[in-house]
Amino acid sequence: MRTSVFCVDATQLLKGVLDLAVLAVLKDEDGYGYDILRRLREAGLTEVGDASVYGTLRRLFAAGLLTTYVVPSESGPHRKYYSLNASGRDQLTRSGKTWRSFATTMDALLDDRGMAA
Amino acid sequence: MTVTGQEITDYVDRVRAALADLPPTVRDELTEDLPEHLAEVAAEADGALVDRLGTPEAYAAELRAAAGAEPGRRPTRFHRLAEARQETATQLRLLDRQLGPVFGHETVSDFLRPLRPAWWLVRGWLAALLVAAMTDGRSGLVPRMDGNTSGGLLLLIGAIVVSLWWGRRSAGITGWPRRLHHLGTAALLLFSVAVLADVDRNASSDFYGGYEQVSVDHRYDRIEDVFVYDQQGRLIRDARLFDQNGVPIQLGWPSCTDGSGAVPEMRNTYPYCPELAPFAPTASAPVAPTTTP
Repeated sequence: MRTSVFCVDATQLLKGVLDLAVLAVLKDEDGYGYDILRRLREAGLTEVGDASVYGTLRRLFAAGLLTTYVVPSESGPHRKYYSLNASGRDQLTRSGKTWRSFATTMDALLDDRGMAA
Repeated sequence: MTVTGQEITDYVDRVRAALADLPPTVRDELTEDLPEHLAEVAAEADGALVDRLGTPEAYAAELRAAAGAEPGRRPTRFHRLAEARQETATQLRLLDRQLGPVFGHETVSDFLRPLRPAWWLVRGWLAALLVAAMTDGRSGLVPRMDGNTSGGLLLLIGAIVVSLWWGRRSAGITGWPRRLHHLGTAALLLFSVAVLADVDRNASSDFYGGYEQVSVDHRYDRIEDVFVYDQQGRLIRDARLFDQNGVPIQLGWPSCTDGSGAVPEMRNTYPYCPELAPFAPTASAPVAPTTTP
């Protein structure tokens, strides 16, 4: 029954929370694709894939959580910036709460059984 | 090794090719940032793009999965057409079920299915008419080959046999033979409308107007005039002819001129031209008897 057992790895977990992570790094500052990717990596999500971030941005935009604008640049190509709109902020608040409660529950569960963090 | 512009272009092309099944607008949206992104990645460090990002195909798959774009969609043009077709089919199925009870069946299709052989007969007849119309040009409700009715009947029987045979066979066909079959059926139905319109026109015109006011028989087309003699061999003038129904019999046409040079007008009294009688009139006094039915 190996197939039904999931080994917890960062890539699998990331899939579930990438939306939340992207919304979070856009909370205080707008950013373009590569910039957002770098912020995620700097925050410690080193496993995140380039295409996953671009795809997620596209999907969040299509869902109406992000707005975009293009900034011309003299040095390089024009950049498309993403920013959180009101719905995006709402979503961030709600998802953030869900994640915190879930994470707290998991932490408590592991703590009770004496597992070190 | 530094990444060249060509390498970036190739990478973008391969990603776009891997997303070719998406609607063009979605694909453009998904890949619009890609050249800039690849340029950033290239500027960041040395090494081939494939080494750092994986193959373009893998990149495309990841992009597709993260964006939630489902594969296998047709280009929008056809997509909209297919959607309309789907919608129509759904409506038809609904109607099929709703109207079924009117015909005493669960669905209208159930009612129509046993009637299919009747359609095959009609189809054979229509096909024979169509062939006859194409070869001959004149066509009634029975096909004629060069005006030959027995040839037409042979054609009719042949067409019906073929149609019945095809009806038994055509149920399982798919692909282009099926499309051809539908096209042929549509053509025949169109032709049947033309036949119906033609028959209707003939039926409503005076020529076939039910009760005939004058008894005309084209076997006597060669008769110009009619001369009636009584028992004594005297020519009877202004004779009237009737058939068993009391309908005046019309034969011939005035082919002479009277004293004033005018052609006598068309009447149902004979002869038109007494002076042309084949047997010399013996009676000098004109008699005016009338034949009665």
